[in-house]
Amino acid sequence: MRPRLVSPALVLLLVALLFGLGTAPMSGSAQEAKGQRLVFASAGFDESNRFWVVARPDHLQYDPFLETLLEVDPKTGEYTPRLAEKWSASPDFKEWTFILRKGVQFHFGYGPFTARDVIHSHSMMMRPEATATLAGFWRQVEEVKAINDHEVVFRFKRPSTVMPYAASRAGDLRIVSKVQWDKEGLEGFEKRPAGTGSYRYVGRQPGLSVSFERVDNHWKGEKPAFKELVFRLAREESTRLALLLSGEAHIADLPRELQKDALKRGMKIYSSSFPVDWMTVYLGGQYYMPGDPAFKPDVAWTKKSVRQALNMAINRKELLNTVFAGKGSMTYVTGWSEKSEGFNPEWQHRFDKMYGYDPAKAKALLKEAGYGPGQLKFKILAFTEPGESEGPQVAEALGIYYKDIGVATEIEVLDWAKVREMFRKKAIQCCIWPNIISWRPSEEWIRTSYYSKSPNHHYENEFVDKHYDALTKSVKPDERQRIARTIADHLFEEFADIPLFWFANEVVANPKVVAEWVYPGLAAGRSTHFHLVRPPAK
Amino acid sequence: MATVTARTLPWYSPPRVAQAMRQARRYPLVPLAMLTFLLVIPAVLATQVAPHDPLKGALAKRLKPPAWQQGGTIEHPLGTDKVGRDILSRIIHGARVSLVVSLVAIFVGGALGTTLGLMSGYFGGWVDALLMRLVDISLSLPTILLALVLVAAVGPSFGTVIGVLVVLLWARYARLVRGETLAIKERDFIARARVAGASHTRIMARYIFPNVVNSLIVLATLQVGYVILLESALSFLGAGLPRPTPAWGLMIADGRELIVTAWWVSMFPGLAIMLTVLALNLLGDWLRDHFDPKLRHV
Amino acid sequence: MQRFIARRALHSLMAIWVMSLIVFSLVRVTGNPLDMMLPLEATPEDYERISKHWGLDQPLHTQYVIFISKAVRGDFGNSWKWPGHSAMGLVWQRLPATLELAGVALGISILIALPIGILSAVWKGSSWDTAAKIIALLGQSLPAFWLGIVLMWIFAVTLGWFPTSGRGGIEYIILPAITLGWFQVAAIMRLVRSSMLDVLDSEFVKLTRIKGLAEWKVVWKHCLRNAAIAPLTFFAIIAGVLMTGAVVTESVFSWPGTGLLVVDAVRARDFQVVQAVVIVFAGIFILTNLLVDILYAYLDPRIRY
Repeated sequence: MRPRLVSPALVLLLVALLFGLGTAPMSGSAQEAKGQRLVFASAGFDESNRFWVVARPDHLQYDPFLETLLEVDPKTGEYTPRLAEKWSASPDFKEWTFILRKGVQFHFGYGPFTARDVIHSHSMMMRPEATATLAGFWRQVEEVKAINDHEVVFRFKRPSTVMPYAASRAGDLRIVSKVQWDKEGLEGFEKRPAGTGSYRYVGRQPGLSVSFERVDNHWKGEKPAFKELVFRLAREESTRLALLLSGEAHIADLPRELQKDALKRGMKIYSSSFPVDWMTVYLGGQYYMPGDPAFKPDVAWTKKSVRQALNMAINRKELLNTVFAGKGSMTYVTGWSEKSEGFNPEWQHRFDKMYGYDPAKAKALLKEAGYGPGQLKFKILAFTEPGESEGPQVAEALGIYYKDIGVATEIEVLDWAKVREMFRKKAIQCCIWPNIISWRPSEEWIRTSYYSKSPNHHYENEFVDKHYDALTKSVKPDERQRIARTIADHLFEEFADIPLFWFANEVVANPKVVAEWVYPGLAAGRSTHFHLVRPPAK
Repeated sequence: MATVTARTLPWYSPPRVAQAMRQARRYPLVPLAMLTFLLVIPAVLATQVAPHDPLKGALAKRLKPPAWQQGGTIEHPLGTDKVGRDILSRIIHGARVSLVVSLVAIFVGGALGTTLGLMSGYFGGWVDALLMRLVDISLSLPTILLALVLVAAVGPSFGTVIGVLVVLLWARYARLVRGETLAIKERDFIARARVAGASHTRIMARYIFPNVVNSLIVLATLQVGYVILLESALSFLGAGLPRPTPAWGLMIADGRELIVTAWWVSMFPGLAIMLTVLALNLLGDWLRDHFDPKLRHV
Repeated sequence: MQRFIARRALHSLMAIWVMSLIVFSLVRVTGNPLDMMLPLEATPEDYERISKHWGLDQPLHTQYVIFISKAVRGDFGNSWKWPGHSAMGLVWQRLPATLELAGVALGISILIALPIGILSAVWKGSSWDTAAKIIALLGQSLPAFWLGIVLMWIFAVTLGWFPTSGRGGIEYIILPAITLGWFQVAAIMRLVRSSMLDVLDSEFVKLTRIKGLAEWKVVWKHCLRNAAIAPLTFFAIIAGVLMTGAVVTESVFSWPGTGLLVVDAVRARDFQVVQAVVIVFAGIFILTNLLVDILYAYLDPRIRY
């Protein structure tokens, strides 16, 4: 007979349980001091205090406590003074001078803000592991010099007109303390980074949340209404909705489908002041630089009429109303919003005629190009990112529209990295893919997507390259507008891709807790300016 | 207790009825009936039975509730999904997809596992040791990781999903067959066959294998349900069948954020899975109880 | 006996080594992690710089040698997606959460399955027995994530009895544990039932019955004995639960454990973390198996083949 083993398994089980429970964080739940704490349920971000490796959308986690040189005005979207009082460029735009504000104190007693902190913060972008969105831009700075304690000069290798954008709240140069770095090094900084914002960093629970607490004597006199601010991570959309409805979260980032449900239960939508992201369907394989071996002439949409047909087959209004609950405005040229350099108001008038929904005309155009019903087949690639779940839906909707005009499609759901690898390697002639990208200045956008020498290859030809080169050398505002408009007009005429919609950033909040919130949406992280959240008057 | 009922009594008399019921209990009627309606008929006659094309949708008709709810129509008895496709039709076609995927995966995995298990049990020695380590390794490969990685590398497709499932399934068969082979190979008739000069392959195929088949069938039946659940889990994580395949797992994954607003998108495929797997498990249990009670630990 | 242990230990080490090879190559087949790490604006110089920084420009075998030489010392490198954290550090950080979840899930499923299994064996063949079987089967037939979301909706949002997600005090773990443990109820119940049936039929029990011992005493005593024998099989169940079910449950309830860590890491192509998690888990599983094998061999000399 077997000896009685008093369940080694049960013992192990007990040990595991004690181990687990012992390391569980304090129950951060329960409605503690009501009205004192604001919880935002986010779809997730890369959790780290190393802002120089974190992408711009994930800078949401720094917005409350790490500030930038320039501010983005929540109502007008203009770049206004923040840690810098004044800024100016040299006539050749190769040097930018910033006059810094006096009397700003870092958190946790690390002393006053000076030019040395700006130099230090910039040096973070020069570290070998820096992968921030604008790290490439910051590495083009040849030298950052302190003229005195409150004046600093950035010198570039080439003229730069996008510096205000990069140095603003829309960019990623977070100002951190050199004194802290000298004293505590990277480890100390990571444990408790000191900033200058109206909130200061409290701590993180990895995989769960990051919390901040209000600072009493902010240099600008900003006084947030909520003593505590918590960003909660919840990747599942239904979990975020549940958090909001149960009162555990007061603001939640929800997809449009669930916004309807939240609204039905008394919640309110807070939209950013400006459109932030746009969605376009890109057509792969448009490599029109002469002699490019990756160019395959048998790809259907290398013919302009096919591109136009693919545009006219889509009922944009219906798509917007169904998949996006009607929340969005038209994109006329991919990447250009009314705030962009080179925007042409003419496009709005001509759009319907050239791109509007007309399946009969689309079929005719296809036939003209030699593609009768059932003769054109291609793949639609789709991928989802946390917080952007509409990709596959749009792909399927496209499939249905194209079926109606006799085009057969196959949808493949990949991950973003795979798609990116394909268009980096010019291996994407097979496919079209919808993508949501956030706003950036025109020159940056052209460099990223249309310039033949960038790593991303979408639509490129000599015309665009020539004008882009001219744009980079130009410093006069009206000349820049003219050049940018020329490029954008060209893309409009040529049906370079299938532009769809501009979206504002929309979050859903509990009106019992949040009565007012104005934020631009253009700042890094989209949902920003939490210090402006006001509860209802008692 | 033997039935001593004369055949002369009419069929509706209590003793005859009782006898009929006793005989009926010998066959797993309930699960077989369920399976016929849930799995076999839809799978085989999908195109005839389904009211609509499972791949064709209309954005204007998206997210319509089931017929008995406000806003629903009899045209779409179970409602429509995010892009306007009929849910009932997709469930019917989904039966075919689920059945094909699981049968292929189990067949391939089973064949592989059986062959390796036979060899391992029969030859013993280093072959056995190597194989058992392989089994260990394959059982310790995290399902999710393998699927996610493969899909990330190769893209979602029938082949990828079946490949992942095969890698996950073969080990159980190998272990089972090996155990049974070990038990059988010491028996007399094997020794006799060897003395008579039969080759190893012949012994394994003609003598050992037929004695193992029963257990294999039970295991396979029990696994169909498990495979269907696994496929739905993989789809939930984005590592399953490609869109717009009408697969049950994909359908639930699609409707997951809508579980409150448009519950029917996930609920009905979920019900389909549940009932089908339930029936399969009942059938498997019955098979096991009747053929090979030794397998209760499987 | 010692030879047996030594041989098995060697086999296990080999198994872990093969696992490392498999993980290393599989993970690199998924593609270039730089496409996930770098922003859209990245220039070719950025690609080169980051590639060099993380040693990805080296040929594969060099990378493997570096990896394995550090791994044997427990150093799996630094994470790419969670900058500043070492891969191993992340695993240890998240492991307690998953262990806790798995432990409570197993506890709940035992709590449900044990009485049902025992009663089902004692009243074998009755309608209670059939009902119990069906309840257990239902558990095995429901997709876990669907169950989780439905439970969350009913109990957390509509009724408000529990919080919806996250980790904290005991109220946070109930719903995820039920979701995770549900599947095990059937397996455990079946195990308990069959062990009970075995014992109830045995000579020893028949003897105690003849002697006139009360029925409930018979059942109670053997209930304990079964609980002692069956658990060795639980190890396999725990490991399985940890690896498969946990990922989905952690996803739905935002439970910050290793399952979620792996999914995020695979999506982000964070090779270092994926390698660390897989090898740690595989290691746990293989070593557990080794221990169980040795334990069985100790108990039953016939098994030492």
